[in-house]
Amino acid sequence: MGYSMTIADNLFENLRLELRRGCLTLAALAQLRQEHYGYTLRKALAEHGLEIDESTLYPLLRRLEAQGLLTSEWREEEKRNKRFYRLSSDGEQIFAELLEEWQAINTSINSILQ
Amino acid sequence: MDLLDRYLQAVKKHLPWKRQDDIIAELRANLEAQLEDKETGLGRPLSMGEAEDWLRQIGPPRQVAARYQPQQYLIGPVLFPSYLFVLRIVCFWTMIAYTIGSVALLATGTVSESRVLEAVLRAPGFLLTVAAWVTLGFAVVEFAATRRPEKFPTLAGSLSNWTPSTLPPLEKEAIRGKKPRSFASAVAEVIFGFLFLVWLLLIPHYPFLLMGPGALYLPYSPFQFAPVWVPVFWWVVALNVTQLVWRCVDLIRGAWRQQRRAERIVISAFGLIPLGMLLAVPDHAYFTLKNVTDQARYGAARDSINLSIKWSALVICAITVLQLLWSIWRISLDCYRKRAAAM
Repeated sequence: MGYSMTIADNLFENLRLELRRGCLTLAALAQLRQEHYGYTLRKALAEHGLEIDESTLYPLLRRLEAQGLLTSEWREEEKRNKRFYRLSSDGEQIFAELLEEWQAINTSINSILQ
Repeated sequence: MDLLDRYLQAVKKHLPWKRQDDIIAELRANLEAQLEDKETGLGRPLSMGEAEDWLRQIGPPRQVAARYQPQQYLIGPVLFPSYLFVLRIVCFWTMIAYTIGSVALLATGTVSESRVLEAVLRAPGFLLTVAAWVTLGFAVVEFAATRRPEKFPTLAGSLSNWTPSTLPPLEKEAIRGKKPRSFASAVAEVIFGFLFLVWLLLIPHYPFLLMGPGALYLPYSPFQFAPVWVPVFWWVVALNVTQLVWRCVDLIRGAWRQQRRAERIVISAFGLIPLGMLLAVPDHAYFTLKNVTDQARYGAARDSINLSIKWSALVICAITVLQLLWSIWRISLDCYRKRAAAM
């Protein structure tokens, strides 16, 4: 019984992570229509009910920047150097397409569930 | 905060050296801002226990650093199907080349059991080494393609270039009600066929492989093998070699799912030859007495053994002929049905 529960828990956790992965990217891109540095971005997402681990969000920002979806600059704020990110022009275009895709999926799933 | 400095130092050790200072500076700014928020909320600095809990929640340094790595796998999903395909082909041909090479080496020198055994035992290590080199080659390509995607445009487009017109023609109809033979079972048949052949070749030198502890009795036995067993033995070896080669060719051609009627017919037909040799022995003298003087004591036992071998050979011969006729009948029936369907 305990063993099968562990398998079920692991399966759920894997599927949950898989489901969240794409949504987190979309949420980060959406939030970065305004400029943020890592910690304030995390706080802003959490305020909207989307908690993301530090070890997931900060590397994600780097990857999105390397893919050309974000731009960044180092700037001093409150006597501390911080790296600020925002959506690049390519990022804005891809974000719009992704948002459209996500809304279509959402509509389809709602329709299936009715 | 000493603990945060130690944590960041540990993370830095696992980061790619080109970007580690930049990543650590950013991580430090984020974590210090978070720490400040926590301490403002509490109205006091974090205790050692609270700081430990906080860092534990962020994750082990090695795991945090790993998230910054561009590649967390050896061979990615784009290359993996090609890797598996190449690995199968290379391993298969390696096995064939190794078998041919080993047999050639054995044929040039004196065939001893220890040399045969040595060749068999060396095979898995050889195969593993080849597989490791193939894996390494693909891992290097994956590594380079991840870091320099512009240099490997064909790799990304290799799957999208696929067209349905490149699909292979339909394979022959599988046996009705039976699952087609899988690649794994076809490979297993080849491996076990090879091992069986080795076992067969070792029997004349190590009779215990066939007779078990009874082989100890052989030197003291009053009976000896008649000369007919030598050509019969080599016919059986030749049949097994033919079958092994046939199955290897099927694997190379990618035809392991097909029915093996032709193979069955050829093997059955040629299998009748050694049976015919046995049945043609004058007076069915498969075993003779080492000393003619033992005739009175062991003559009856020898005749009884020879008679049972004769009847066994006859029964096997009858079964083989029936199998052969059945296979020929099925093939003729299929041909007739196809011709009728085409009309």
